[in-house]
Amino acid sequence: MAPNMIALTGRSANSTKPGAGYPWQLRAAGIRKAFGGQTVLDGISLELQRGEVVLLRGANGSGKTTLLNVLTGNLVPDAGEIHLLTNGSSEYFRFPAKWWRTLNPFDHFSPERVCREGLGRSWQDIRLFPTLTLQDNIAVATPAQAMENPIWALLRPSRSTKREKQNLTAARKVLAELGLAGREMSSGDKVSLGQSKRVAIARAVQAGARVLFLDEPLAGLDANGVSEIMGLLRKLAQDEKMTLVIVEHVMNIRRIVDLATTVWTLKDGKLEVKNVGKKATVHRASNGHDLQSWAAELTGMRADVKNQRLPGGAILSTIAPSQDRQGEIVLKVEDLVVHRGRRLVIGIHGEDGQHRGLSFALRRGDLAILQAPNGWGKTTLLEALAGLIRPTYGRIELSGREIQGQTPWECAQAGLSLLQARDHVFPSLTVREAFRLTHVTSIPEGLTHLLNKRMSSLSGGEKQSVATACATNSGAFSVALLDEPLSALDMASLRSFGSSLRNHLKDAAVLIAVPGSLGELG
Amino acid sequence: MSYLLHLLTYLGIYVIMAMSLNIIIGYCGLLTLAHAGYFAVGSYAYALATLKLGWGFLPATGLGVGVAVLLSLAVSLPAWRFKGDSFVLLSLSVQALFFSLFYNWFDASEEPGTWTNLTNGPFGLANIPRPAILGIELDTPGSMAALSLASAVACGILSWRLLSSPWGRLLKAMRDDELAARGLGKNTRLARVQAFAIACGMVAVAGAIYASYVSYIDPNTASLDASILMLSMVIVGGAGNFRGPLVGALILLAIPEALRFAQIPQAAASSLRLMAYGLLLILMMHFRPQGLAGDYRIE
Repeated sequence: MAPNMIALTGRSANSTKPGAGYPWQLRAAGIRKAFGGQTVLDGISLELQRGEVVLLRGANGSGKTTLLNVLTGNLVPDAGEIHLLTNGSSEYFRFPAKWWRTLNPFDHFSPERVCREGLGRSWQDIRLFPTLTLQDNIAVATPAQAMENPIWALLRPSRSTKREKQNLTAARKVLAELGLAGREMSSGDKVSLGQSKRVAIARAVQAGARVLFLDEPLAGLDANGVSEIMGLLRKLAQDEKMTLVIVEHVMNIRRIVDLATTVWTLKDGKLEVKNVGKKATVHRASNGHDLQSWAAELTGMRADVKNQRLPGGAILSTIAPSQDRQGEIVLKVEDLVVHRGRRLVIGIHGEDGQHRGLSFALRRGDLAILQAPNGWGKTTLLEALAGLIRPTYGRIELSGREIQGQTPWECAQAGLSLLQARDHVFPSLTVREAFRLTHVTSIPEGLTHLLNKRMSSLSGGEKQSVATACATNSGAFSVALLDEPLSALDMASLRSFGSSLRNHLKDAAVLIAVPGSLGELG
Repeated sequence: MSYLLHLLTYLGIYVIMAMSLNIIIGYCGLLTLAHAGYFAVGSYAYALATLKLGWGFLPATGLGVGVAVLLSLAVSLPAWRFKGDSFVLLSLSVQALFFSLFYNWFDASEEPGTWTNLTNGPFGLANIPRPAILGIELDTPGSMAALSLASAVACGILSWRLLSSPWGRLLKAMRDDELAARGLGKNTRLARVQAFAIACGMVAVAGAIYASYVSYIDPNTASLDASILMLSMVIVGGAGNFRGPLVGALILLAIPEALRFAQIPQAAASSLRLMAYGLLLILMMHFRPQGLAGDYRIE
């Protein structure tokens, strides 16, 4: 059996104690990293102990992902040292490396090298292997497979088959423990977001991770997805005593609170470490925030909240100004049915065999929050409204003018603005160029320092803030459609976005789509 | 009958070409234009070993495979860094290098096969002997077809064995997302070097069979046209599985033969064949980017 099966098969974690006798598993000292003259990590020192659960937080652009990338071998620091005792043996890396260590191309500080020392990671964008089955996604991670050498695969076919059978059996067992029995042969791109995130974490464990770095494991998940991932993390941390370092954005921090034993805060390139025992302390230290409280700040000044239950478990909460200030209808959707290929995404099959479409209306000044489970079709709906997908049938009116079937640029010219959840930046443009391209009239104060930076060099939160500004600060629009605009934003960006939203709501309606986890507002 | 055997001989050679290129395109996700260069390395090595050293078929083919495996580093090492379009350009330059080498390693004052006139330049190497295995001369169309098909089956078994093993799965994982594979502790650089070595060695076998069958080779064996022909087989048939290259080899063999039966003048047939390839590639890329029987969609 592969050694990494320990964590998920319930074998006692005490049966193997890598680094036993040492107080720590990973120690880094004086880590520095700069990009183009800008120092992101400035002499960071840290220690990770076995079973520790760390919440890594910091403002947008503070270097959270950079630190994660450095500790997992994806980035080579400019200076400093990293000492690993994760795998029972001591491994020491010093930066810049001595010249003789650079001679062997297979001995560099690299993701594969660090992984073999027992450090694993999960990615914000999951990165399952899409053409492999779930079973193979797990099986491929098993370390030290002799049959990954083509000579062995040819010369010892019977042994290869036997080992492979054992490996696949172990992979199926892992999937069964994740509640994915029966989905072994589903390909990596055909499972839900929550399921793929669980498989990605299990895959890292299968690769032998004893210290696991998780980059926004809850991002984009609905309530079910969050509870599945939290269950898995709890099992890894509490039952298997794995060491976890979790980066999570502000909206989801409160969910990690139960688990965290330490909070790392990155600010101005320095790391502040706070060991916390009690939940409340962690909560305070983590400065938690959620959509409910954020929405409450906006609803507080408004009178009328209408909750419309939509088919498939979604809720459309419309927060309208008081009766006397209600504006005219700017977006009217009637009986909208949208297919992706042959799959019906928006609308339902009626008992009479006919499709029933989605209908709703937004008035000027309305803030509508669409909470829907993963896979409901939020993105499809927004893209259909914005002209990126042609609806099967139905009627869409923007300020009294029919826009269904029009091109995306015609919809934009008619006053519709769309912020997409993914791929919403032009990586080779600078922020200034992106603002010019999208005719941004007023640049938010918090983004002026980014103007000369290339979009590809921004952090996730900075990209989100810039993309949001491009969608909502670009001249006149009557309806803004924002797909998961709050993900990756820090507190300051969240407040700035909230205040910008209040300004826009004087003249327009805004529809925000988020993964459904909140219930009815009001 | 001999026409049919001729086609079967070519089918075997085409199948080996397509299967070997499928390892690079379908399993490494890299589009290479240098493959004809390695085919020619196998041909030239076989020709020189038999003509100058008097070696038999197996050792001469082994020499071709060994040289091709060694020279595969010319594309596999840069593939550590270069991906996508930049790798295509790099492979094109390697192909040009091979062609130039075969074309220019020539000295009219010396015998072919000497150090100063190794390849005999544009005149190529003629009178390459037919293969003899264990003392049996394979000098009939039937025996050549049998050799070619047997080699194709052997390469097919080798390919099947490797690509269905954990090594094949590792290649697919690397093709899908190299960084994620590295993050799981996988040595993707080594896997890529191995894949190129196996693919180039395999196509060198096809080159040796070709040289022994045609008895004459020249630098056009390593031309860009030849690389594009191989690429067409994989794109039309499909990459990323076992059956795609077989289908592609069969179709690309059938097209010129079909034109031959269409009673088109020889001069026009050659241009028509190129047009047919081009049209086929455009149609496939547009309507079925994963090929007729492939699993992997070339982006």
